Amino acid sequence: MLTIDAKNVDFYYSDFHALKNINLEVEQNKVVAFIGPSGCGKSTFLRILNRMNDLIDGTRLTGSVLIEGEDIYAPGVYVDELRKKVGMVFQKPNPFPKSIFENVAYGLRVNGIKDNTFIEERVIESIKSAALWDEVKDKLKKSAFALSGGQQQRLCIARALAISPKVLLMDEPASALDPISTAKIEELIYELKKDYTIVIVTHNMQQASRVSDKTAYFYLGELIEYDATTRIFTNPKEISTQNYITGRFG
Amino acid sequence: MRHLEQELVTLRQDVIDMWKLVISQVANSGDAVLSFDKDLATKVSMREKKVDAYELKIDSECENIIALHQPVAIDLRFVLAVLKINSNLERIADFAYGISRVLIANPTVILDAEVISDTKLRIMIDQVNKMLAQGLDAFENEKSDFAAAIFSEDYQVDEINNDAAKIIANYIQKNPDRAYECLQLIAAFRKLERIGDHCSNIAEEIFFYLDAKVLKHAQKI
Repeated sequence: MLTIDAKNVDFYYSDFHALKNINLEVEQNKVVAFIGPSGCGKSTFLRILNRMNDLIDGTRLTGSVLIEGEDIYAPGVYVDELRKKVGMVFQKPNPFPKSIFENVAYGLRVNGIKDNTFIEERVIESIKSAALWDEVKDKLKKSAFALSGGQQQRLCIARALAISPKVLLMDEPASALDPISTAKIEELIYELKKDYTIVIVTHNMQQASRVSDKTAYFYLGELIEYDATTRIFTNPKEISTQNYITGRFG
Repeated sequence: MRHLEQELVTLRQDVIDMWKLVISQVANSGDAVLSFDKDLATKVSMREKKVDAYELKIDSECENIIALHQPVAIDLRFVLAVLKINSNLERIADFAYGISRVLIANPTVILDAEVISDTKLRIMIDQVNKMLAQGLDAFENEKSDFAAAIFSEDYQVDEINNDAAKIIANYIQKNPDRAYECLQLIAAFRKLERIGDHCSNIAEEIFFYLDAKVLKHAQKI
């Protein structure tokens, strides 16, 4: 079953044609890595998947993007509803200036949930899913800022999971973390794909090869190659992909 | 040049140097047997350690490249292929050494010129040397089609070996007092046949490296 189905997507920042005729499908419970040199359009395309680019003046999109069969750019789609379905984790951990518990509960509360028992259950479940429970179970009321960078990033993942999304978007989620925290995030991605469909942007080729089922290589706004990760990293079809992943350019 | 590229260039050159050494080992061991040249056989024996040293060096270089540079795509296929080519070349050199040992260990053995001619020993030696050279040519020039002929040539080597066994068996029946020398000759043929197999293995690795094709256990001709 397809969770994401982008068809003929073109995207513009005013006059700049940032993405050119992108066609990409993502199956349910798969991890897809977007790779490519800076400015290739991979983060732009990631942000298209939950309409983050709507906040930027002068942007324009043509084509269609279906999440679970629904066109997220169709008239009448509420962005707030979309973002319940599509969570996002950013490069730098960005916890709110609240307690660990309230960070994770935040999404539930702003969505109008008032049942404290349900909120507590959901918060605990999300923190456990984010592989953070053992480290924070005794300090849930403490400030999120007291956590390490790696713990903060897993807290942000827990926050995204709390609202039960279908898709998790990750924009270089481990680039600001040390190797141990990075390994934890990568293990977490492997665990989370049992329940979620994950799209990750990364500049780290080894990370892309370790965590993803499929890899998409973008260059100058075009999707050059999209295939099984094992194929991309052993025998890519396109010479441009090979030159990039072997470090010969980019 | 990037660090990884430098490492790959060094590795490639070491493989080529080892390959040339192995070609000369096979040629010299063949010449030694055909001309009963014990000095040449001794030379092959002495240079065997140099081949072993190359094997260890190349193994170590591959290990370092994988550990330190995590190569992917064609770079990864190159390193994986080199690991196997290295091992095959070392085995070929072992066989060349084994052929030369026939002369060194048996100083009184004089093989019958007629049986050597009938069994096509010279042709077999030339054939495996040609296969080794074709493999090197394909590797050096990155042209897998240069290695394609090796598969059919391996069949020819197998046929010469099979025919030779029959000829030698007949010869032993007629000349039972020469049985020991004949067993030595059969051992040399067997080693040459195995060299042909290793050349075929190397050709498979060249196709894997350059074309990402896995020909192992597949019909090739």
